[in-house]
Amino acid sequence: MNIGILSKRTTNFTAKIRSYYEQKGYNVKIYTNMNLSINDSLIENDFFILKSKKLQLLYAGYFLEANNIPVIPNTKISFKCKHRIEASFLIKSLGFNSPQIFLGKFEAIKQELDKSFFPLISKPIMGSGSRGVKLINSFRDFKKDNNNIFYLEKLIVGIHYIAYFINDNICICEKKPLVDEHASVILIKTPSDIRDIVLKWKKKYNLLFGHLDIVRETTTNKLYIVDVGSFPEFSNWKCKEDPVSRIGDIIIKRYEMIINKQIIKSKK
Amino acid sequence: MIKIGLIIDKYHLEKKVNEFLRYLKTIADVSIYLEESHLLDLSELNFNEDIFFVKGKGELLLNLVKLIENETSIPVINSSKAIWLCFDRFLSSVLLKKAGIEVPDFSINPIGIQPPFKDYIIKNVIDQKNYALKPKIRKVNGHLQVSDERALNEAIKGKEKYQFFYYQKFIKSKWEFKVYSIGEDFYFYKQIPVLINPDKMKSRIEINPIPELRDKVIQIKRLLDLKITSVDFLKSKDNVYYVSDVNSTPNFNYIKNGPKIVGDYLIEQAKK
Repeated sequence: MNIGILSKRTTNFTAKIRSYYEQKGYNVKIYTNMNLSINDSLIENDFFILKSKKLQLLYAGYFLEANNIPVIPNTKISFKCKHRIEASFLIKSLGFNSPQIFLGKFEAIKQELDKSFFPLISKPIMGSGSRGVKLINSFRDFKKDNNNIFYLEKLIVGIHYIAYFINDNICICEKKPLVDEHASVILIKTPSDIRDIVLKWKKKYNLLFGHLDIVRETTTNKLYIVDVGSFPEFSNWKCKEDPVSRIGDIIIKRYEMIINKQIIKSKK
Repeated sequence: MIKIGLIIDKYHLEKKVNEFLRYLKTIADVSIYLEESHLLDLSELNFNEDIFFVKGKGELLLNLVKLIENETSIPVINSSKAIWLCFDRFLSSVLLKKAGIEVPDFSINPIGIQPPFKDYIIKNVIDQKNYALKPKIRKVNGHLQVSDERALNEAIKGKEKYQFFYYQKFIKSKWEFKVYSIGEDFYFYKQIPVLINPDKMKSRIEINPIPELRDKVIQIKRLLDLKITSVDFLKSKDNVYYVSDVNSTPNFNYIKNGPKIVGDYLIEQAKK
């Protein structure tokens, strides 16, 4: 079997899963933005893994799916997890809390935003994790580029968790606020309310694995989902199961399921 | 009186909708959501409009439309899906090709890797901003290679977050055909392609309806969720009409009575 991996890098989790599949006798090719051309020549693999969500890789995902080549996780959900406003709609549609969001150019923010909303967090609209994230305490903290549209979230003060899931196996750690996925964390016993959120999220969007960043607000004890991911690095996975082999296996199972569905559909 | 929300950017407000607004204000209450001065609060849902009309394609406008669609039942023309697919040349080409509508061959390649065809035009993959084509034309070993300055700047000079080129196979055509559609109505024109004569209006003439193009536009509107559009076609030497551009914010001032036709259509489509 030939497997393509769409990834921004050839190292870390991508390298590990490649090695896992190669040990099983599969052919694996990694496509990054350096070697990825999107045209009919790409249709040379049985299926693709969409590890990263850079624009070029998402384009490849859409192109492959249009040509009936399975992409796992699928491109639509990967895009929506990466697009913070789309992600907030996904969160809201399940009835979960997400921080209040503002969008606007600097002049509009200065004119319209009440100071009582500070502190805010500025984030890229397309992004995940801590890349490009900045704490904004006042209007002075903005980079005054009036061509730029700022995406701002109300800061939720509380305990921060990263909740990974692989199938029904949930692994939750407490972490420091506003740090990246790789910063040190402490494994905790899974709180039942967070477990419920994770399982509902996974079921609703038919996900095999992923992560949610959740904050328990100090004053209200309410849980807020502040970030979602369709394919994290699992660098802080502290639970027993090996994420690489587990994810490698369930991706193959999902691929087989998609192919079986395609065969049944073609027979009809 | 029907309430119409106009979601617009400064460029379109100042340059493209004067006559339209004058007419609209005689038949409806108009509220304006201007990209440059609007602060979008995603928890704020106090819309009382009967319909929204979008003239622009910027990020804030697009997300405002998504919010309205997600949280209300107020019709929006055009939808966020339509706006997105029209400004994203790659995604619309993928979708149209899959549905069997002829589009020029296309390829995305990292800078330095050539596409699988020799005559091509490099276009900006995301046509979201309000600026015109700036072509650089050259012949290499007898092959025509055109590049749009905007596309080069966005990919090479780091103006956008991508470093690749979107190549479209060059289709040689004597005329560029343009079909406007507002609801169920269609308007047909042709002009000399802008690469030959950048002053497109100088050569534009109204033509008799072409049923084949009408059918294609109907199919495109359904696929891309468009209510109001203009679609450009190039006709190859073997008489195939290729879609070269689909626009979600067409300049309807070029149609006779265009502003009135669009205004009346919006009233007709408004939430009952």
